[in-house]
Amino acid sequence: MARHIMLAVRRIIPDGPDTNRLVLQDPDGWPLPKWKPGAHLDLQVPGIGPRAYSLCGDPATQESWEIAVRCEVNSRGGSSWVHDVLRQGDVVAVTMPRCTFPIAAEASRHVMIAGGIGVTPFLAMAHEFERRGVAWTLHLLARGGPPCGLALAGLAQSGRIRTHDTARQARPRWDELLDGGPTVGLHAYCCGPQAMLDGFAEATRDWPRGTTSIEHFVPPPLPAAEGAMQYTLRRSVTGAEMEVEAGGSMLKALRMLGAQVDASCEGGICGACEVRWLEGEPIHRDRVLSPERRRTHLLACVAQCASDRLVVEA
Amino acid sequence: MTETLASPIDVEAGASHRSTWTGTVAHLHVTARAFLPMRSQESVELVAGCGIVGDRYMLGIEQGFYSEKPEEGRQVTLFESEVLEAIGRDYKMELLPEEHRRNITTTGVPLNWLVGKRFRIGSCLVEATRLSIPCRHIEEILQKQVFDAMVHRSGLNCRILVGGTVRLGDEIRPE
Ligand code: FES
Repeated sequence: MARHIMLAVRRIIPDGPDTNRLVLQDPDGWPLPKWKPGAHLDLQVPGIGPRAYSLCGDPATQESWEIAVRCEVNSRGGSSWVHDVLRQGDVVAVTMPRCTFPIAAEASRHVMIAGGIGVTPFLAMAHEFERRGVAWTLHLLARGGPPCGLALAGLAQSGRIRTHDTARQARPRWDELLDGGPTVGLHAYCCGPQAMLDGFAEATRDWPRGTTSIEHFVPPPLPAAEGAMQYTLRRSVTGAEMEVEAGGSMLKALRMLGAQVDASCEGGICGACEVRWLEGEPIHRDRVLSPERRRTHLLACVAQCASDRLVVEA
Repeated sequence: MTETLASPIDVEAGASHRSTWTGTVAHLHVTARAFLPMRSQESVELVAGCGIVGDRYMLGIEQGFYSEKPEEGRQVTLFESEVLEAIGRDYKMELLPEEHRRNITTTGVPLNWLVGKRFRIGSCLVEATRLSIPCRHIEEILQKQVFDAMVHRSGLNCRILVGGTVRLGDEIRPE
């Protein structure tokens, strides 16, 4: 069972084509926990389940959290519920923000490339970059009017935002968007539709490791789990154990053992199912944990195991 | 090797135990709900048998997360300011009084020795039920890796026997 915070929808701001920006507050105006730019939360959609949205307000504000939701034609129900059902004053259940798309602290220059509603995490990052006084550029590619135009207006005086209306002009070339990179101190980020992410990955294929970041909306195909084997999964808290076949879901197994493990994307991109591992040899396969974090944690929805026993803290 | 721990309790002749410590209330914090930040207060209102007015541990308030559900033995929680200093020293990490998520930050009170004992906080009387156990979700809230630093020094849970107002600077002393 996910752990939820109940928040009131204080304002719904139409902000761009088919896009509503929601301002969420504690029902009694209590300050909200701090979060990191690049974080997202899960909005619990009744009868449907969790839907992930990036926080797009200023991370320095603890009064409210903001998310922007575009009504998708092929919505799986989440975005149409937000647009058609949700009203100002309603109370919604959300999870704590999780940051799976962090700012590269060591970089001195940041170039962010957004496709459409993929601009949301970059709004939060841009506020942070302005505060830190580091150089940044945001390229927003969208057909027609950009999403979150009002939110962008607050950052426009920086002169660092380039919008590209791809309905009226040719798509800029990757080398133009990437600011001549790779160069020392430059970090590039991309968030948008899969075709754009693929293009970005291809264009930055030869960049040094750790100088690019991608935020996925939908889980990409999982890499093969080389060396995965059947193993005994043990919960450290209760001592309960069960056998998990090679290729089987550790998340399901943990839940069968009675552990309360959250999940959202079930594809290794959101971080909701993170658990600490204590013994064994996990095969990670997720897209978000840093090499350092992997030394102590794994994402149960995609992890496999290369040893005959794995102990997790659950 | 046997290690002898220094106890703040003096054992007097005739087997009567008299404690020697007195401390003070250094900080006061409450939060309305699990996950939300703690807010600093000048004073708090303790209600006997229930909790602190406005705090998530107040009995009778429904909470959504197990580690911050109200419970009979956790009507008010305490934490030593000396532990904050020790964590700074041992882990090179700043943990602030509003971050440990206990209600009363004490100075000069040996909390780990008080389980099962009664003591005064200002005019209020409380009984210590058990040591607090750190919860991993604090790392999620603070975005700081503080769990390990708080193991075995995570404060004290108490039941309120006599309620009243507790103010910053109030004396804490054995009953
Ligand atoms: S549920 Fe999203 S990473 Fe596992």
